[in-house]
Amino acid sequence: MSLFWIVMGQLAAADEEMSTSKKVITREEWEKKLNDVKVKKEDMNKLVMNFLVTEGYVEAAEKFRMESGTEPDIDLATITDRMAVKKAVQCGNVEDAIEKVNDLNPEILDTNPQLFFHLQQQRLIELIRNGKVEEALEFAQEELAPRGEENQSFLEELERTVALLAFEDVSNCPVGELLDISQRLKTASEVNAAILTSQSHEKDPKLPSLLKMLIWAQNQLDEKAVYPRINNLSTAALEDPAI
Amino acid sequence: MVNNQDSGGCCIDLSQFGAGRGGDDIDMEDEEEVPRYLNTINSSGGFLMVSTDKLSVQYTNVNLHGHDVGVVQANCPAPVRRVVYYFEIFVKNAGAKGQIAIGFTTEQFKMRRQPGWEASSYGYHGDDGLLYRGQGKGEAFGPTFTSGDTIGGGINYASQELFFTKNGKLVGTVYKDVKGPLFPTVAVHSQNEEVNVNFGQQPFVFDIEAFALEERLKQQMMIEKISLPLHVSHWIVRSYLLHYGYQDTLNSFDMASKSTLPPIPVAQENGFNEQGEMYALGHRRILRQLIRSGDVDSAFGKLRDWYPQIVQNDTSTICFLLHSQKFIELVRAGELEQAVKYARAELAKFFGIKPLATLLQDCIALLAYEEPVKSSVGYLLDATQREVVADAVNAMVLSTNPNMKDSQNCLHSYLEKLLRQLTACCLERRSLNGDQGEAFHLHRVLQSGKGEK
Repeated sequence: MSLFWIVMGQLAAADEEMSTSKKVITREEWEKKLNDVKVKKEDMNKLVMNFLVTEGYVEAAEKFRMESGTEPDIDLATITDRMAVKKAVQCGNVEDAIEKVNDLNPEILDTNPQLFFHLQQQRLIELIRNGKVEEALEFAQEELAPRGEENQSFLEELERTVALLAFEDVSNCPVGELLDISQRLKTASEVNAAILTSQSHEKDPKLPSLLKMLIWAQNQLDEKAVYPRINNLSTAALEDPAI
Repeated sequence: MVNNQDSGGCCIDLSQFGAGRGGDDIDMEDEEEVPRYLNTINSSGGFLMVSTDKLSVQYTNVNLHGHDVGVVQANCPAPVRRVVYYFEIFVKNAGAKGQIAIGFTTEQFKMRRQPGWEASSYGYHGDDGLLYRGQGKGEAFGPTFTSGDTIGGGINYASQELFFTKNGKLVGTVYKDVKGPLFPTVAVHSQNEEVNVNFGQQPFVFDIEAFALEERLKQQMMIEKISLPLHVSHWIVRSYLLHYGYQDTLNSFDMASKSTLPPIPVAQENGFNEQGEMYALGHRRILRQLIRSGDVDSAFGKLRDWYPQIVQNDTSTICFLLHSQKFIELVRAGELEQAVKYARAELAKFFGIKPLATLLQDCIALLAYEEPVKSSVGYLLDATQREVVADAVNAMVLSTNPNMKDSQNCLHSYLEKLLRQLTACCLERRSLNGDQGEAFHLHRVLQSGKGEK
């Protein structure tokens, strides 16, 4: 008999849980809550400046400083240097890029063996791309092979890169993607991040994190309430709760 | 909130522009009362003695009956509007039987029982190293503790767990199913047991800051995994520049991103509609420049030429902002006589208007000080005040756009709307969660990360 009551009790509890309705917040109530939030213009300016600076928009950052009076959180001159390195890699001038990085801060490559290897690998790719077969082989043997011996994954990368030489028609070879511009962009991005980190600057702008936080916060709140949501970040339009 | 229906139906609400003595509302978090000492009033008086500084407790009796525990709570419950709460005890003397306990109890707790022996309480006991949470029988939890040990007890609001530490190391966690305020609690039970309590007045042995940071990082990592629509940050920044009229920046920005981003018409298909914001871009840029440089007269002149409807009503909020800024500039330049003349001519008429009263009063007050910058109304001389006026003018110009569908759009950029939504959601979620945990503060996010990673 007591088992019966236990089951009844559990059913009642389950029923209650299902009918536990979420708090409903009307558009009017929600707008009042929004209006109570004060966002400082100064903070928003900082956020925008942080974006321009981290993504490397030097000129725009300079103009923004003049038009808004916001001070960038890092020296704009260092952005120019950093962008020069990035551009050099993007154009395939890896030797130039390496020189510039060392001018900026010799420790960056010293403390980043993986980055250095990727830059050397890119150099090799460019030599192969330009048809300088002999030079490429010499370079691979003298500069890259020793690194490969120290590190298994470097060795594998090296072998993949050298494989390019075996094909007349590189567009059809299995490692052809190494010659793609995306490979240059990948390396360029790696260098960019390393430089930012060495300058004690976060390598990612803050704005995307905040946008993600917004998505997360809304998802979390969905569990407990029904309220006007922003479903389209690019329009920031409030959409009334579906009842 | 002020509803000042200026021309174009755009309501300028002064509080929207943060006008007023710049108060940081970050301090909301610190408004909660924090335990500072032991509560001598409701403790089990006959069985223990609390020191005069209310931070030590000693068992004075010889009775060891289960209802003769010397229990004492903190003066107030643990604060909730944060990631974690933590306190420590130092066992000065484990006495005859080392039956010391640390834990959390509710207000209704029977003050002659060990924490954990009654429902809605938690206790980590030194004599057996067990965790008690509402039943007579304890669960295996951690090591025993005795004289010379520092034991900590904490609440992790992020994970909804209680946790305990011994000599700087985490011992274990337990789910916190008790909702409602919890008091840090200490108990002694055998002859000569003596315990010191630290509510944060001294540095903790356990690295609670690192612990809290770890919790924050866990959440951050989860959030980072969320994916965003492509280039959305870029468009939001662009919208921002357009909205506030930062034309030069916008042009540089567009030039630099030509190679990497889809052209605007494509973006518009995806919902980026900036037709409204392009409106009067050149004018808005010039007006902002003038105001930022303090040249209010020229700004007034241009407005009369280009958008006379905005300054038509001389008692409107926008006119007040402009006149008050002109007054401030005169004070800044030290031209006090001129400032007084100007105030009589242009500011006097605003005296009857209630919503503007505080700002007006603060402005006039500038005259009272030899060094107004150092006074409590010195904020008016800050560059941010010019920014307030520039933003207001910008909003008014946007509102004259005949194609403007939603007048509210001229007040807030998309970025601002998104940030407000983020803040409101976090606050609401916390409020529905018994007010536990940290809220979102843009300011804190901007400060963080400097050399942290």
